[in-house]
Parts: sequence; structure tokens; C-alpha cells
Amino acid sequence: MGKLTNFKRSLWVFHASGGSCNACDIEIVAVLTPRYDAERFGIKLVGSPRHADVLLVTGAIPRDFADKLRRIYEQMPDPKAVVVIGNCGTTGGVFYDSYNIAGPIDEVIPVDVYVPGCPPRPEAIIDGIVKAWLKIEKLEKELEGKKE
Amino acid sequence: MSFTLTTPSGFWNPLLWLVFLALFGIIAYLIYSQGNPSYKKDTEQIKPYLSGNPEPTKEKIQVKAGDIYWGFIEALKGYYKVLQAIHTGDMRDYILWYLGVGAIITFILIGGV
Ligand code: SF4
Repeated sequence: MGKLTNFKRSLWVFHASGGSCNACDIEIVAVLTPRYDAERFGIKLVGSPRHADVLLVTGAIPRDFADKLRRIYEQMPDPKAVVVIGNCGTTGGVFYDSYNIAGPIDEVIPVDVYVPGCPPRPEAIIDGIVKAWLKIEKLEKELEGKKE
Repeated sequence: MSFTLTTPSGFWNPLLWLVFLALFGIIAYLIYSQGNPSYKKDTEQIKPYLSGNPEPTKEKIQVKAGDIYWGFIEALKGYYKVLQAIHTGDMRDYILWYLGVGAIITFILIGGV
């Protein structure tokens, strides 16, 4: 794992759930409960994508949710990263090739980190978010480079 | 020459006012310069978050005075439909209705008994 050097703020996360069975979402909540307690590192869920650095997406993304997900992604400030939680969003999972599915998620918005599993363990979710953190640091450095 | 205008409730000095204006301008600029430079104008980033739904036009989301009666009008829709159809806004029509209904009442009171 790389060193966290540049992104000095707490990492705020927005969770968008599109057509998931809710099990992935429950594991995300487990990350915040006392056993794992990601909030002690400043990683917390926020209520608006406009406040978020990372977008967590769960579910296979039904057709009528695709444009909403795109809008949510566009509303996030830069630098930003997208983490897909679960098999549904990664490949389509059990809904693969279904008539009403616009996903996998990388067919709707660009994805930076995949956390497979049905559902993935909280440790895997935390690991995915740390990877997103590294990605954001890289993007922030690029942005700063452009500014200078 | 003094620039100060003294009044019973205080004083007014345009030079002092300019100094404060410059000071507040600098403070405002410092706050502004701390903003996110990657912020993009004319994109979804400047729009409010409505659970991913598109932002409706201002006319659509404005609560009008008539909306206060929405439930009432909705519940009595059948009655209002008839009433609105005969509500022409022409005073002569109303006088005709008045005379017509008056004639019917008079007929019932006098002729009907
Ligand atoms: S990946 Fe599995 S647990 Fe997660 S939403 Fe899909 S079916 Fe549910």
C-alpha cells in the first residue's frame, strides 16, 4: 500500500444504491458500526454527492436509474473516485444480461475500484476505499500540477 | 481640512469607509481563493442534489396561493367541473341565472302550492 501524503482532508463518501438486494448496503453500514468504525479515520457517509470525495455504488443499475447515477457522478466535485461494491455492480452478477439492466456500473460511469463479493466483507470494502483514497491523491497532485 | 462629519448619533468619515471597504475586499478575496479551483461552471456541479432527479423548472416547484386549496378542489372535482363550465365571468349571465332561479323559486312558492 502506498503512503497517504497529499489528500489531507477526511474522506467523505456518498452511497448510491441502484437495484441492489440490500446485502451490500448492509455491509457498508457494518463498516461504520463500532466493530470496524471507519469514522474514526474521518471516513463517513454524507447525504449529498456535492460533499463527497468517493462514490460507492451497489446494485446492477436498472435502466431508469442510469441517468440518475450519471447525474450524481457529475455533481461530485473533483478530484473524485468511484468504488463499486459487490458482484451485481461489477459484472451484473445474478442479473447479468437481464432485459432491464443498464449496468455493469462501468458501462454507466467510469469506475476506479471494484470490490467483488456477494456481498463483500467489510474489510474488503475498507480496502477498496483506501485504494480510492490513493487514486484521489494522485488526481489531486495532477490538479495541483495543472494549477502551477 | 477635516473629512469627519459628526452627528448626534455618531460620525461619518469617507476615508475611513474606504479603508474598511478595502479591508473587507481583501478578506472576501482570501475566502474566495480557498475555494475548490476544479469547480466547473455550467455543469451538474452547480445544480442542487435531488436524489439524482433532474432539477424541475422554477414554475413547477413554486407553491402557488391556489395550491393551498388543492385538496379541497381535488375532493370536490365533480362539483367544480360543472361550476367552472357555467362560470363565464360575464355579469349579464349571472343576472340571468339570478332571475331564472328567482323565477323558479317564485313559481314553487306561488304556483306550486
Ligand atoms: S452483489 Fe450480491 S449481495 Fe450485493 S447487491 Fe448483488 S446480490 Fe445483493
